Amino acid sequence: MINLIIDGKNVEVPNGATVLQAAEAAGIHIPTLCNHPSLKPFGGCRLCLVEVEGARTLQPSCTLPAGNNMVVRTNTDKVKAARKFVLTLIFSDRNHFCPFCQVTGGDCELQNSALNEGMANWPYIPNWNNYPVDASHKYFVLDNNRCILCHRCVRACGELVGNFTLGIEERGAQSMLVADTGVPLGESSCVQCGTCVAVCPTGALIERSYAYQGHEADMDKVQSICVGCSVGCGVTVYARDNRIVRILGDWDAPVNGGVLCKTGRFIPLEEDRERITSPMVKKDGKLEPATWEEALSKIAEKVKPLAGMNGSGVAALASTRLPAEALSLFKQIFAGGLHSSMVTSIEEGTTTAAASSLAETLGKPFEANLDALKASDCVVAAGVDLAESHLVAGFMVKRNLPGGTRLILINSGETGLDPQASVLLKAAQGTDADVFKGIAAALVKLGLRDGDGVSAAAELTRAAQATGIAEDDLVEAAGLIGLAEQPMFVYGKGITAKNSPQTLASLVELSKLADASVLSLKGEANSLAAAAYQLDKPFEVNGHQAVFVALGDDTPSQRLIQRLENAPFLAVQASYASRLTAMADVVLPVEMWAEQEGHYVNLEGRLQKANRVLTAPDGVRSNADALMALAEQLGFTVDEDWQAALSARPTPAAIAA
Amino acid sequence: MAKPKISTDWLCGCAGCHMSLLDIDERIIKIAELADIRSTPVTDLKEPDEAGVDVGILEGGVNNTYNEEVAHKMRKRCKLLVALGDCAVFGGVPAMRNLVGTEEALRRAYIEAESVDDEGFIPSDPELGVMTNARALQEVVPVDIFVPGCPPDPDTIYYVLSELAQGRMPKLDDGKLQWH
Amino acid sequence: MPAQKLTIEPVTRIEGHAKVTIHMNDAGKVERAYMHVNEFRGFEKFCEGRMYFEMPYITPRICGICPVSHHLAAAKAGDALMGCPPPRPASLLRELMHMGQVIQSHGMHFFELAGPDLLLGFDADPATRNVVGLIQANPDLATKAVALRKYGQEIIKILGGRRIHPLFAIPGGVNKALKPEERDVILAGLDEAIATTQVGISIMRDWAEKNMEDINKFAVFPTGYFGMVTPDNGLELYDGQIRLIDQTGEQLEKFDGANYLDHIAEHVENWSYLKFPYYKKLGWPQGVYRVGPLGRLNVAEKIDTPLANEELKNFKALNNGNPVENTLYYHYARLIETLFAIERVRVLLDDPDILSTDILNTQRSFQGQGVGVIEAPRGTLIHHYWAEPNGQLTRVNLIVSTGHNNWAMSNAVDSVAKTYITGPEVHEGLLNRVEAAIRAYDPCLSCSTHAVGQMPMVVDVVDPQGNTIQTLRRNA
Repeated sequence: MINLIIDGKNVEVPNGATVLQAAEAAGIHIPTLCNHPSLKPFGGCRLCLVEVEGARTLQPSCTLPAGNNMVVRTNTDKVKAARKFVLTLIFSDRNHFCPFCQVTGGDCELQNSALNEGMANWPYIPNWNNYPVDASHKYFVLDNNRCILCHRCVRACGELVGNFTLGIEERGAQSMLVADTGVPLGESSCVQCGTCVAVCPTGALIERSYAYQGHEADMDKVQSICVGCSVGCGVTVYARDNRIVRILGDWDAPVNGGVLCKTGRFIPLEEDRERITSPMVKKDGKLEPATWEEALSKIAEKVKPLAGMNGSGVAALASTRLPAEALSLFKQIFAGGLHSSMVTSIEEGTTTAAASSLAETLGKPFEANLDALKASDCVVAAGVDLAESHLVAGFMVKRNLPGGTRLILINSGETGLDPQASVLLKAAQGTDADVFKGIAAALVKLGLRDGDGVSAAAELTRAAQATGIAEDDLVEAAGLIGLAEQPMFVYGKGITAKNSPQTLASLVELSKLADASVLSLKGEANSLAAAAYQLDKPFEVNGHQAVFVALGDDTPSQRLIQRLENAPFLAVQASYASRLTAMADVVLPVEMWAEQEGHYVNLEGRLQKANRVLTAPDGVRSNADALMALAEQLGFTVDEDWQAALSARPTPAAIAA
Repeated sequence: MAKPKISTDWLCGCAGCHMSLLDIDERIIKIAELADIRSTPVTDLKEPDEAGVDVGILEGGVNNTYNEEVAHKMRKRCKLLVALGDCAVFGGVPAMRNLVGTEEALRRAYIEAESVDDEGFIPSDPELGVMTNARALQEVVPVDIFVPGCPPDPDTIYYVLSELAQGRMPKLDDGKLQWH
Repeated sequence: MPAQKLTIEPVTRIEGHAKVTIHMNDAGKVERAYMHVNEFRGFEKFCEGRMYFEMPYITPRICGICPVSHHLAAAKAGDALMGCPPPRPASLLRELMHMGQVIQSHGMHFFELAGPDLLLGFDADPATRNVVGLIQANPDLATKAVALRKYGQEIIKILGGRRIHPLFAIPGGVNKALKPEERDVILAGLDEAIATTQVGISIMRDWAEKNMEDINKFAVFPTGYFGMVTPDNGLELYDGQIRLIDQTGEQLEKFDGANYLDHIAEHVENWSYLKFPYYKKLGWPQGVYRVGPLGRLNVAEKIDTPLANEELKNFKALNNGNPVENTLYYHYARLIETLFAIERVRVLLDDPDILSTDILNTQRSFQGQGVGVIEAPRGTLIHHYWAEPNGQLTRVNLIVSTGHNNWAMSNAVDSVAKTYITGPEVHEGLLNRVEAAIRAYDPCLSCSTHAVGQMPMVVDVVDPQGNTIQTLRRNA
């Protein structure tokens, strides 16, 4: 531990802490601009300068390691003058027009810094060069006139996202934020995650959708969970007058630490589907508004007589965007009360069934969690394109690559992360099991793991031939895995959907041999909960006389629509109109993601609560309430303990709150 | 003791700061009791008293030679000069003209604009002002008190006026300081 | 008698800068008078490259008296540019803010800018011929006047967070809904605002009765008249087609504001930075027209609110149903519009949609260009933007209210100078009358040149050699 004195106060901090961190621990505020709690200290703006006894000049507290017996003063006249001077230089460097800027009046860290120093004017004159505005990006605009070169966006794009699109070109007064080698943002390698905008302290980066929606102080802010995929990032949603104006990552969320992808940050704001606000019942071939009673009794009178009729009774599908509360009720009504054997999720278990089955065989969970992924020094990603789905998980890998983490990709096709991979193993379709066996064999052949070297060599050759991958590549991969301290296998739909159960078994065997952890990415927000509830079998319409789809705010796929086109009776509970609702005999209006409260289990088994941001229109009910009302209509009693039901069977990742 | 004399004027601004001054509503009666309001753009005295005033208040930046003359005259004739509003303090929105150039701006307005008929040209009568770079007031004359804001809040303006009218220097803190 | 030039600079109790030069001939009569607007700022150029959604926040800095006009015109231009018409509740809310602005701007103009001339007299002592003098001469009326302006300003503040340069409109709608308690606050002040406006109207009518000679010789001349109307030619200030009538009252055009370039053009004179709009079909200068309260009430055939409509009937009777040409009747028309605006506030607040939260259309469908038109207190305001598909502006054209009145103001100055200056002796009250000619139009010269300026008032009477014969100063 280090002991130092700040402004006369004794402070004790662990070794390695900076003076800024020590001051924070002591409750002493030092102003900063380029510093950000989620980014490594940078020391670029010099606003945090402090006096250190014995030092020749003022020192930047954000990068200065606290030293034993250091005497620091943060509020002397010299320090205050320095802060004003730093701000003066920043203002004179570019063109800061506060009057009309989107963040003026409280939301600009630069302006607030100046006001905190009591600055009522600029002693120096701006240079009046006309800096460019880059409006090429779909989601945000960059105004270089407002940039203070704090590098936060550059650092975020690298340290948090691992994309390294942003950089600063030239030096000194010529410095300029650029994308890639100097192309417009909209034409660059940017993946539209928006993390740069979230960290920008001025109005240099502005989200188009948030511009002029109001001040931060005007906003309702709700912490919730993104339901865009199974990663389950924490979000902070801004709303005003019952509309969402901005989605930010929750910097304190354990899963994502503030990082989001476009699916969570921007795409929900593009919602333009027609909203369903009233129950509807088909009369004479046309959907007409109806009461909840009418609609529910119409469903009940159709499905109740079909109870227990396997094959020609009721089939039911639920979206895995629904919260656990709703999924549990859904299962109890259709698999329980109506004894249907065709009750499953829209995902049909393609991302979870194989792993769930293995968990059942083992009798316990076997997967690691995201902390392991974040700490891994050798990640093997099989059957997934982390540039297309589960993007934030991809960020967790990409950002560690410059630090030495190796990436090995096993796929039959191309993925967006191919350029970053140390080894690419392009397996012929359906041969993934052989890839794993081949790597295992190579580990033994290399002597990195115990085993019969001779048979290993033969197995390696066989595997290479079967997969079409060169032996050398398998060996190289094995070498990296075998020597890694914390190797990890992540796998996705490419492994779990079409392959035989043996594939997953060989993957798990390989992971044991390699002392590696394993984690499947699952699919949508509540894939794992659905798996826990056994809503993971393939869906087949086979003479079923009625089909119920708990769609929620999901978008039905073309394939699903086609398969249900000839359903004799179709009931759908949905938030938005679609071809599916148009086809339905009964439609029940339900809450969309921001209007609901409910629980989600992410890919690592973390149980999280999504909170209500908006009030649903009159007449709209939550997914759980709609199902509860249906249960009542059918005369079923249901158990509302959705949480206990999550432990009904072993799951690949342990489920815990 | 005679009431302190206050004189105001506007240069290259939008009049918003003076409107914010009027936004002190009925408190203007109190100010009129405390101080002798001399020339302003909304009264009929045309310039600050030659014998001098105590407080001069200028809104707007300096964008042409006439603005310069007014600024110099006010500085000469007042004891304390107040720069009121972002245009006077920083240059403000009109200073965006510096980024594109005066010639280009004139050409766009008088020749290229879509509604100007075929006989457009840039006016140049000597009765008109000569354009200069858009500047903050302090680039032209020394300023004693800066009250930024676009416009400054009426409560802040009332505070500044009543302090000055009572012979005190206003201190902009506790949320009175704003740049927006 | 040697020819001489009189100069009035600056004109006070107007927004912005103007300078008047009066050229005398050898016979000691006024040959020609000019109103010079002598400053320029360049918004049309420096807004190139900015984003379309910033324009409702940059353009209000054109004018601090009518920032809401620019705020809303810019939002409307953005609506058109990006094909995102606002939901009905948003249009109601924007109009509500606009009415607040009309009330405060017109109210302030009558009582505080023009008022001193009418209430204290053209020839009153310049040291007290102002709002402070009004407070001293008639504190009760002054208090009412301040309260009327405050009422309008508070409506703006309730909706947009502040009175000047509010944060409210964005392309596609507005960012804040009206709360029930806020609606109640606005409703509560309505009756008092109407009462004050009616006091103003009776002051104006009394003054007109007592000063009929001035009314009838003070800058009375024919022009066309131009302003927005409802589909059946009722007075309209927020959204509607534009109607142009000739001096006899015959309709020349009724068109969608978006097509303004088909009908009007701007003429440039060397002696003013303010351009001169005119009706293309009649050419320059036959095609000149007046906007603002006088223009709008001449163009309108009725007003859809009862009290204002009654008053309009009185107005129409002033010239037997023909367009009213007297410059001084601008003051009367301005008060009638104030009455309409207050009554319109009640209509808006009673609308079932006024509390709705359906206030923003976030869809975007790029149209290439967009025009936003609104009736600002001083006249028709046109914002026209061209942009790239990414939303960055490539070109901006602004035709700002007072600009349309430029010829009329110049002509009014010329007319008043010729009418009242009958010899080389020039006295102070005369100069004030020349300024009052400009004041009647309530010009917003910051707006119209997207510029402003001001100067001290000195009148030099010079001989043809430039020697000063007589100097008159208008300061204490």
